[in-house]
Amino acid sequence: MTTSRLEVPGSVRIVAGVAVVGVFLWLTDALRKLVDGGFTLLLQQTANGIVLGATIGLIALGYTMVYGIIQLINFAHGEVFMVGAFGGLAVYRWVLPESVRGDWYISLPAMLLGGVIVAVVIAVLMERFAYRPLRNAPRLAPLITALGVSVALQEAIRLWFPDAASAQPFPRVFIDAQVDLGPIELSASQVLLIVVSVVLAVLLQTYISRSRMGRAMRATSQDHDTARLMGINPDRVIVLTFVMGAALAGVAGVLYGSNINSVGNDIGFQNGIFAFTAAVLGGIGSLRGAVIGAFIIGLIKTLGGQYLPGGTQYDYIWIFVVLILVLVFRPQGLFGEAERVRA
Amino acid sequence: MSAARHSASETVLEAQGVTMIFGGLTALNNVSISLGEGRIVGLIGPNGAGKTTLFNCLTGLYTPTRGAVRLRGKQLPSDPAKVTSAGIARTFQNIRLFPNMTVLENVLVGRHIRMKQGPIASVFHGPGFRRGEAAARAKSIELLEFVGLNKLDHEVARNLPYGDQRRLEIARALATEPEVLLLDEPTAGMNPQETEEARQLIFRIRDTGVSVVVIEHDTKFIFSLCDTVSVLVQGEVLVEGSPETVRDDPRVIEAYLGKPREEVAAEVAEAAAAIEHHREDS
Amino acid sequence: MSRLNGLVPAALARPFTAIGGVLFLIAAMLPWATFILNDGPYPEKSTLQFFDAPFELTGFRWHLLLFGVLAVIVTFAPVRGKERVLRSFGWGGLLIGVIGALFIAGKGGGIGAITAADGATALGSIVAIVGGALLVLGASANGLGDIPEWPTSLFGWTGMKQRLEAWVVLLIAFAGVLWLVAQTLTAGGIGGAAFPYAGPVFLAFLGFAGGLIGALHGVGVTRWVSQLSEKHRPFSIVVLLLCAFALPFPFTGAGSQYWMQVAATIGVYAATAIGLNIVVGLSGLLDLGYVAFMGIGAFVAANLSGVAASALGWNLPFPLAALIAAVVAGIFGAIVGSPTLRVRGDYLAIVTLAFGEIFSRAAQNNIGDLTGGASAMPGIPPVTMFGTAFNEPIKLFGAQLPSGVLYYFMIVLVVGLVMAVFANLKNSRMGRAWIAIREDEDAARAMGIRTGKAKILAFLVGATLAGLAGAIFVHKLGTASYDSFKFLESVTLLAAVILGGMGTIPGAVLGASLLFVLPEKLREFSDYRLFVFGLALVLIMRFRPQGLVPDRIRRAEFAGETAEGKSIEEIEEQAVLEQEQADREPEAPAAPKEGRP
Repeated sequence: MTTSRLEVPGSVRIVAGVAVVGVFLWLTDALRKLVDGGFTLLLQQTANGIVLGATIGLIALGYTMVYGIIQLINFAHGEVFMVGAFGGLAVYRWVLPESVRGDWYISLPAMLLGGVIVAVVIAVLMERFAYRPLRNAPRLAPLITALGVSVALQEAIRLWFPDAASAQPFPRVFIDAQVDLGPIELSASQVLLIVVSVVLAVLLQTYISRSRMGRAMRATSQDHDTARLMGINPDRVIVLTFVMGAALAGVAGVLYGSNINSVGNDIGFQNGIFAFTAAVLGGIGSLRGAVIGAFIIGLIKTLGGQYLPGGTQYDYIWIFVVLILVLVFRPQGLFGEAERVRA
Repeated sequence: MSAARHSASETVLEAQGVTMIFGGLTALNNVSISLGEGRIVGLIGPNGAGKTTLFNCLTGLYTPTRGAVRLRGKQLPSDPAKVTSAGIARTFQNIRLFPNMTVLENVLVGRHIRMKQGPIASVFHGPGFRRGEAAARAKSIELLEFVGLNKLDHEVARNLPYGDQRRLEIARALATEPEVLLLDEPTAGMNPQETEEARQLIFRIRDTGVSVVVIEHDTKFIFSLCDTVSVLVQGEVLVEGSPETVRDDPRVIEAYLGKPREEVAAEVAEAAAAIEHHREDS
Repeated sequence: MSRLNGLVPAALARPFTAIGGVLFLIAAMLPWATFILNDGPYPEKSTLQFFDAPFELTGFRWHLLLFGVLAVIVTFAPVRGKERVLRSFGWGGLLIGVIGALFIAGKGGGIGAITAADGATALGSIVAIVGGALLVLGASANGLGDIPEWPTSLFGWTGMKQRLEAWVVLLIAFAGVLWLVAQTLTAGGIGGAAFPYAGPVFLAFLGFAGGLIGALHGVGVTRWVSQLSEKHRPFSIVVLLLCAFALPFPFTGAGSQYWMQVAATIGVYAATAIGLNIVVGLSGLLDLGYVAFMGIGAFVAANLSGVAASALGWNLPFPLAALIAAVVAGIFGAIVGSPTLRVRGDYLAIVTLAFGEIFSRAAQNNIGDLTGGASAMPGIPPVTMFGTAFNEPIKLFGAQLPSGVLYYFMIVLVVGLVMAVFANLKNSRMGRAWIAIREDEDAARAMGIRTGKAKILAFLVGATLAGLAGAIFVHKLGTASYDSFKFLESVTLLAAVILGGMGTIPGAVLGASLLFVLPEKLREFSDYRLFVFGLALVLIMRFRPQGLVPDRIRRAEFAGETAEGKSIEEIEEQAVLEQEQADREPEAPAAPKEGRP
């Protein structure tokens, strides 16, 4: 007589999951609202979700890379995104002369550069002075440190960026045009955001899987000491990881600002949590997972806010519910590896 | 002497046809092992043969893909905590003490399942609670004396020398009052003197009525200690029998030692001497 | 800090500390500012006062004077543990000097304010800093040595005499603690525009208090008192409670309504922090949403108290409402704990954060009409027992006690209760199981511990205590608002537990106190509060992750120290020294080792 656990085939699980979701949607009146609202509304919110997902994806990539390599949830990564946005704003306000501000092909790259530089500098400092000394400390220490850095950064911006106590207007730096996609419309900025984020994600994936440095990164994420024996300097690899993650976050910050036209020192916290959820949903350590997870999260937020009870006031909550469910039932996410128990 | 050793005794723990498959890898294939009451069984084999995997199956950490593990005839529970309550305790290959707790506290944690004070009693510290605590402490000190660590009871566990840490792990396992003790490479990294002390300790444990299964690489140690030896190679039992049987089996020598028979003659003679030694001792 | 050991050659140890002490003396009497600060409790510009009014030193000057005199005495007297004592004095005085220097320089617009400007010189702060540095370096020159052990009875008494002696010692010790607490609370007065020096005066006082306590610790007194109080636990608890009750009386100077408010708030948060200590400190479960349990207790109690905004319209007597609140919070604790059983470490932190945010958002949106949303639930009726409303002033033993003092008394009792629960749990089968889970969950399971149940229990107990605290909090405050229970509060509570020292009661109380008193004192810096808080978290984790009053296990875990407080490096150094000594001794002929046949 065997004692093996009941094996539920994967297909049954998926069907069961879909059924549960369906029942849930029916019970919460979401299906009715879906039908009432009409197809256009659905498409619009889907598009909004994808736009949000693009932003979150760029941030999520940073989370997942850093966790993959040093098993640290860089709680402050959301603030890197925020700082990048403000960096771009700073460039716009004080670096760009009045005359060229209207020319998006000058101001946008300048702001992107500014945002990336600021984000990268902050991230490198963070890694060097806050995280590196705690490499061998118990898990609690880097987590608290990350919390501290996050709070400190938020406050630093509020205190020392002029007027940042309240949300700052952010210029729409791109072409002021609308793109027609059938029944719905997207602004050019939104399309830019989606395109940039997908392109960057693909570039990153290519770099990691093809280049020598990428191989070094993958090796270090598996085993620091062995990598060291192979002549790889884990510290440098880690810094590079932080740099790349921060660069993506910086880009996300500037593009986010140009889309929403407003940035405040609190945008890091919310978007950070969304991004982290996306990374976990996709499978922490998996780049592909981070991006796909991000789009799913974006869709949950917009569609949930539209159709689920509680509306936009509770859209936050559905994301958290997803996070909890994922961590409880499938901690490896969609594309991560299940923790193999050592024989 | 050998007749006495192999006389019929009740089987305390047995694995029947245990197969363990992880994804595409078959770690154990139709492994059967049996532990008689008051016996010491040795488990040897090359690295990666599946010895620790078998231990994990014997303690409920893994659920075998096929086959069964029975403790005194009853199916093993599937939760390691329940297995320990049922009477199987183990030590770990890479010593898993509670590093920042003291020696005494480590053993006290071992007493956890044999103490009865629940959370409510823990809040109020009534007389029943205090009696229970005192009894647990006394028993823990007794166990530390048994393994020779009683002078160090307030040392923090991770500051202990390696050999003492192993002994502490054994004391902690014994605190759960097991019927069966599984020792995973208890003499790894020990010098000959410490190894001999370990051997004597295991005999003393056996004499208190606990049946023991030992994984080891030190064949001399195993042959001088165990009543039966099982050789595990690539997840399968190659040979099972008395130390002489195993020692003489050419397949074992080839698969495990990997040397031509002639080179091994000296080691075999040494093993024979060890077996004689064992006969004199037990 | 052992990095400072041996920086200075041993021969210079005594001169350094002696000179350091003398420098403190001088600094106490020098002017500290080259300009006159507004009148207030801050020293004005003055010349060397010694010949005019040698003993008219007040405030931090008198603290420095005390340290200086004691430092010189200890340097030459045969005091055991003197290195640690001197080091403490050094750090304390150094801190006083630094704070003074920073504040005056900031007010005066530059370094000139503390050195020389407009024909006036003021080197007081610099001399203090140099003196402090000398003291610390000199004290560390020879390494720090062990903290001396004190015998249980100073006079070798036993039996009843020993017990009486212990009682007297404990009375004095706890009275001293009471005095220190009252002084700390009132140091500098209330912060804000009316008392612009509250911040620096308070911080300088902290330097003094820290130096004093460090010195007492170094000489072995604190450990001795702690051991005595362990042996005579019931008596200690009674005395401690009496001292706490004595705080509002006029003689302590802390008897105003304001300080009662502060003390009561500290008490509530301390109780909550102790509850969190069970979850984080003992069991190692990182909970970033803990304040939600406090909030649940608060809103349940509010709804049951007959407040106008409540949809339930029930009005239960306070003890019953508080009990129900605690139980409901506890149930939610179990609910939060259950799905998280398989989640570890960082992930657990995020999941609990998510639960906390769900609560926060739901409360903000007035879910189920239970939380009042943005308009909160004001006007909670004060607790009324034995015919007296708790927010009225009362007369006790002839002294007029300020209003709110009854809340304070109740909170003292509750904190005492929570402390007792925590201490009992920690030293019990359950507590050991929790610690074992923290140390190595799989090994704990291998020992038969039902880790799942244990973790849920930890969450449940922690949440229950938080709920109780929340119920009291909200009655004292008079309003229940989602604003009090946001993520930042969770982080602050966690910081309190960590800063104070995880796993210990005094740690949690100390942490809660610091984190809730400092904002009161440093009101003029309130804008920077959060920034400094974030920075402090980073620095603490970097330099003292075990907190101020760590328990033995935490010390071992973070600082690599043994149970006696020595660091691993010190032990290794000692071992090497002993080995060298052994090598130098003439070798005895090695006896042939008899191997066993």
